Amino acid sequence: MRITSTYPDAATLQARLAARLVGALNEQAAAVPHDISERLRVAREQAVARARESRQRAPAGSTSAVLAGASGGAAILGLGSGGQPPWWQRMASVLPLAVLLAGLLVIGQVTSREQIMAAAEIDSVLLADDLPPAAYTDPGFAEFLNSPSP
Amino acid sequence: MATDKELTDFLKSVEKRAFKRTAYAVREDDSALDIVQDAMIRLADKYADRPAAEFPMLFQRILSNATMDWFRRQKVRNAVLTNLSDFEGADDDGDFDLLETLTSIDGSLGTESASDTVSRDQILRVIEAEVAALPGRQREAFLLRYWEEFDVAETAAVMGCSEGSVKTHCSRAVHALAKALRTKGITP
Repeated sequence: MRITSTYPDAATLQARLAARLVGALNEQAAAVPHDISERLRVAREQAVARARESRQRAPAGSTSAVLAGASGGAAILGLGSGGQPPWWQRMASVLPLAVLLAGLLVIGQVTSREQIMAAAEIDSVLLADDLPPAAYTDPGFAEFLNSPSP
Repeated sequence: MATDKELTDFLKSVEKRAFKRTAYAVREDDSALDIVQDAMIRLADKYADRPAAEFPMLFQRILSNATMDWFRRQKVRNAVLTNLSDFEGADDDGDFDLLETLTSIDGSLGTESASDTVSRDQILRVIEAEVAALPGRQREAFLLRYWEEFDVAETAAVMGCSEGSVKTHCSRAVHALAKALRTKGITP
């Protein structure tokens, strides 16, 4: 004689119990306070607005921009075949950096030259000035006088 | 590409469950709202051009990631590490316990009389509290599988684990809930 169990299998029991529990959770979720549901509504509306912007931004990026010239003519800034800007636009973005580097080099050169000039002026004033008597007692100065001139 | 209406309808259908699910994890309503809003914005920003049918999976994945980001920001390492408790303990409840609890909940929630309204609310709150008290991975698997009605493969994809792990998490979650509810007195 074959005996069959009257109890459902574990998976069925698990699913049925889960369904009952989820039913309770659904009731609790439906009863969230008004302020929370309002904040969720605002968040949802913001998200939808962002999605709209994102969709509008996507096709705008692949089209060419048209700028009217000051003389009444139209200058068309077309993009390259791969959506890349043309070479002269890329160069234009590098140009300010090149100008900055050149300016720094010039400033460095001018500053260095000014320092050299100032040092030379001090040396010439010192050499043209009268020698103080105390200098003759300085052993370093005596050594300098005895050394052969270059 | 999904339309604004499809996105709105989807978010409207999922937002309250998403809030509850997040609130169970972070245990703060304000933070849960921020996380849900963040997930909505991420979905709209990055995936607005996807078909509406892909939204449920994408959104749940984004929401899980946003919740994890919140935990990282809060440096609540212990809360994340509690997931390890999924591997602890053996299930000593048999199928009969499940049946017992099922019968009990059927009896508690199935038919409502006017005098039982308060008791019913209490039971709902107890169930919610017990779901919130589940270990993180068990709760996530349980809610995705049964609340969001994902199948095992989809749940595994969202959670980034194997299908076997999903089944294990779900089984342990249901058994833990059944045991906890019986302990709370929801028994025949």
